[in-house]
Amino acid sequence: MAIVDVIMPQMGESIAEGTITKWYKKVGDKIAKDETLLEISTDKVDSEIPSPSAGLVAELLFPEQKTVDVHTVIARIQTDVHAPLNPEPELVQGNTQSLNPEAASVLHSSPEPANIKHSVSAETNRFFSPLVMNIARAEGISMGELEEVPGSGANNRVSKKDIMEYIEHKKSRPESAHVKTSTAAAPTGGVEVIKMDTMRKAIAEHMVRSVHTSAHVGSVTEADVSKIVAYREKHKADFEKKEGFKLTFTPFFVDVVVKAIKDFPLINASVDGDSIILRKDINVGVAVALENGLIVPVVKHAAGKDFAGLARAVNDLSNRARTKKLMPDEVQGGTFTITNPGIFGNLFGFPIINQPQVAILGVGAIKKRPVVIDDAIAIRSMVYISMSYDHRIIDGALGGKFLQQIVHYLENYDLEIMN
Amino acid sequence: MPASIKLKSARVVAAHRPNAGKQHLSHDELLQIYYFMRLTREFEESIITLYRQGKIIGGAFSGNGNEATAVGSAFCLKIEDYLFPMHRDLGAHFVKGQTVRNLMLQHLGRGNSPARGRDGTGHYADSSLRIYGNISHLAAMIPVATGVALASKLRKEKSVVMTYIGDGGSNVGDFHESLAMCSVMKLPLVLIVENNQYAYSTPIAKQFIVEKISDRAIGYGIPGFTIDGTDVDEVYAVSKQAVDRARRGDGPTLIESVTMRMHGHSVNDGAEYVPKKLLDKWKKKDPLLKIEKQLEDKKILSRVIKSDYERKISEEIQEAIQFALESPYPPAGDAAVGVFAE
Amino acid sequence: MAVVSYIDAISMGLWEEMERDSSVFLLGEDIGEYGGAFKVTKGFLNHFGSDRVIDSVLAESAILGAATGAALVGMKPVAEMQFADFVTCGFNQLVSNSATMHYRWNLPVPMVVRLPSGAGIHGGPFHSRNPEAWFFHQPGLKLVAPSTPYDAKGLIKAAIRDPNPVLYFEHKRLYRHIKGEVPNDDFVVEIGKGDIKRNGRDISVVTYGSVVHAALEAADILEKQDGVSVEVLDLRSLMPFDKELILTSVRKTGKVLIAHEDTITGGIGGEIAALIAEFAFQSLDAPIKRVGAIDTPTPFAPTLEEFFLPTKEKIVTALRGLAAF
Repeated sequence: MAIVDVIMPQMGESIAEGTITKWYKKVGDKIAKDETLLEISTDKVDSEIPSPSAGLVAELLFPEQKTVDVHTVIARIQTDVHAPLNPEPELVQGNTQSLNPEAASVLHSSPEPANIKHSVSAETNRFFSPLVMNIARAEGISMGELEEVPGSGANNRVSKKDIMEYIEHKKSRPESAHVKTSTAAAPTGGVEVIKMDTMRKAIAEHMVRSVHTSAHVGSVTEADVSKIVAYREKHKADFEKKEGFKLTFTPFFVDVVVKAIKDFPLINASVDGDSIILRKDINVGVAVALENGLIVPVVKHAAGKDFAGLARAVNDLSNRARTKKLMPDEVQGGTFTITNPGIFGNLFGFPIINQPQVAILGVGAIKKRPVVIDDAIAIRSMVYISMSYDHRIIDGALGGKFLQQIVHYLENYDLEIMN
Repeated sequence: MPASIKLKSARVVAAHRPNAGKQHLSHDELLQIYYFMRLTREFEESIITLYRQGKIIGGAFSGNGNEATAVGSAFCLKIEDYLFPMHRDLGAHFVKGQTVRNLMLQHLGRGNSPARGRDGTGHYADSSLRIYGNISHLAAMIPVATGVALASKLRKEKSVVMTYIGDGGSNVGDFHESLAMCSVMKLPLVLIVENNQYAYSTPIAKQFIVEKISDRAIGYGIPGFTIDGTDVDEVYAVSKQAVDRARRGDGPTLIESVTMRMHGHSVNDGAEYVPKKLLDKWKKKDPLLKIEKQLEDKKILSRVIKSDYERKISEEIQEAIQFALESPYPPAGDAAVGVFAE
Repeated sequence: MAVVSYIDAISMGLWEEMERDSSVFLLGEDIGEYGGAFKVTKGFLNHFGSDRVIDSVLAESAILGAATGAALVGMKPVAEMQFADFVTCGFNQLVSNSATMHYRWNLPVPMVVRLPSGAGIHGGPFHSRNPEAWFFHQPGLKLVAPSTPYDAKGLIKAAIRDPNPVLYFEHKRLYRHIKGEVPNDDFVVEIGKGDIKRNGRDISVVTYGSVVHAALEAADILEKQDGVSVEVLDLRSLMPFDKELILTSVRKTGKVLIAHEDTITGGIGGEIAALIAEFAFQSLDAPIKRVGAIDTPTPFAPTLEEFFLPTKEKIVTALRGLAAF
């Protein structure tokens, strides 16, 4: 015994449903094969529907006037013989060959890697084409490095040519361009290894840390210090007799720095996170060159000292610096540093800021130079002064103005007061 | 008068046509024609039933009323002739040698059908039987039939091409372009216009204003005949004349065979637009009833033979249905292959 | 080997195939007595006779349908559309019958349709078409478009020997303007294989038909004036087309311009661009560019047609844009 489904047929491609208008049989009635079982109505046509099998009407699933979707089972016939298959045989899912063997081979022949990184880095606006990314990946070039590669394409785009040239160039240079922290090649013959002492280590650490901390920027100016030079010439013998030490140019600069800082207090500051710490005391450090290094003793409360007091302090600190007799707090707490790259005759320097300060003044050698004054040439004692300062809080305008203030004070030093 | 006639398979019938030289049909031939017409009628009824049972999908067509035209015309063809039938000429397929099984497989779109499921109903070709089925664009196969006729002429084959079109289809450009080419080049084409009064819902009054479609032949300088499409004798005689003319190398003939489309355009068309009176009038001229009466009157068709035929036809159709229902659809992946010949 | 014009190369190929295979015959308007509108078949009627060179009635659908029918029963018809523009009159025969018969009936249709196509001859909108895109889209049709006399001869032979319907796009402007070396022997250009007409390193130009020549001139300019090395890939076959060759070239250069005389939107260049984007994305150093005719019917006045067509100058501009990207 078997049950055969009777379905609502699709009387036309666009027909989606049919209405049962009349059942010709009741449940339990006998029915012959192809005998009319029901009549249906669709948008297109009314039709008698013949039974697919002979047997007994087992179920009538919907009443007359009911509208059902096509392919819905609407009745069931119980057959007393081995029934034929249901209307739709199982669709044999045969071998599902890929559509186009040609296309498949093209697909497989493509050597494209599976995971693709974004061309546009999150931190950059530069566009890197898929090809350039591919090459970078193959050559082990990181995104960071890639961003530094110069581009000759449109909008400075790194083209294939550019990255290939970069790679060539890289290969031809023995050392790499960027800092590598631990690439120690084992020493071979022709090399002497010197272990750093404490001071050297400290200087190295401090300098590197300073460079990584501050946004170093520099300005250079020159000052006409002829008056100061002339005054010193005239009075240095008397000064030495009176004070017991030689008069150097340093106290003049410390004095001028103090005055200028009073005019531009932001120079006397430090940075703490996103806060600017303005310091009230002006503690001027003066760099002293030592045999195997340098040290920066600090003239504390420089603003409270007169010229003689500054001179005495500088002298004292320098002496004790050279004889290693400085106290710890005499090398701490500075708010500004003066250094003297001109001490060996050089014009000016690019000093590194003494953390946690935000500016350092480098004084060059004082030299006689021809200058133009009122459209005539004069010989004057000139000095180049350079200042490195921290662009985090000191912009070029401020730095420049401060430097010019120093020039102003130098060139208009109140020598009368000193007498 | 034989009690029963030994039925030869359709292929054998097609191969041997002892009286093919004669214009008139012998008794045996008439019985064969009757058999094919009855087979056609029953086959199409079964197709409609299967469609209503949801076992045939897409659509189904009926040539009810056209049996005499389809069978009578194809009966003139020799095995080397070509047949390009339309959707109401199923009888012609059988005459030319196609099996009931194959046509059933076609309608059910099975993988082992002649078109391997790639096209349904009569849209298949069987080059061994020289049957080339139609496509849905009406008249589109007439130029192709023309090309086959051209090949026949170029190769001096003496084979004839027979094809069909409807009353509406005779307006299509391809109909005219083909007749232009065939007439000028004297190609061996027999073109039968089955004027069954309607093209879908459009009555012939809206298709043309000539009295007879066969008058279009005048425009091409070829013979044209309008005949009673329900009369097998007339169909055969005129078709035979046209086939002989073509075979002689004298060119094409246009035959207008007048019948009635007894059912809708397709099984989905209720054809309410056909006046009931018209249908009633033509019902009386049912070609199957006509030939039955004719053969019974002549004492050619006895009740024994008739019931014998009915039984054999029923068995053959049922066997074909069973076989087709048990045959699988083609495997899905087959869809991708065979676009090009290697 | 001889130096032969493009049109003579086609005639040569046709002639040789007709000698070689007696089932090959020609069907078209004015091809017999008159020798064809462009004289491709001049002399054929005298030599092969009217059974093999048939002057047809003026009926493109009948011509294409008849060619299909004759091919269906084993002959090898070469039908001619007097101008490619007129193929639309028989469009249904090609796309419904010729293209689908093998798929539906497992019967080969070994026919060829010759289509004199292309613009630049002041032909106006109905004598200038490049209709390949419509047929490119129809599964079951093969399409070829030679650019040189060598390819023209090799491809007409291949088309005739192919058991499938092949549309042969012969460019009218190239007929007598292009000459080249063509071997006298029986050689065939394989359908589906492109050809690198010029090797290069920096940019690939994928092109076919008349534009191959403009592309070669543009490549020359870029080499001499800009030092940029351009590779020119001639598809030769449009369906099937040489996907491997295209991808190999693009993977080498990283930059590609697709150029054809057909209008740009819906032209087959779009399909090629999609192929490259899908299968060679990682090799691209620039967006894929296309040059084609503008999206209008072919205009008649010379100034309008010049603006309409892809020219050597437009290709140079596009290549320079790619080089600078």
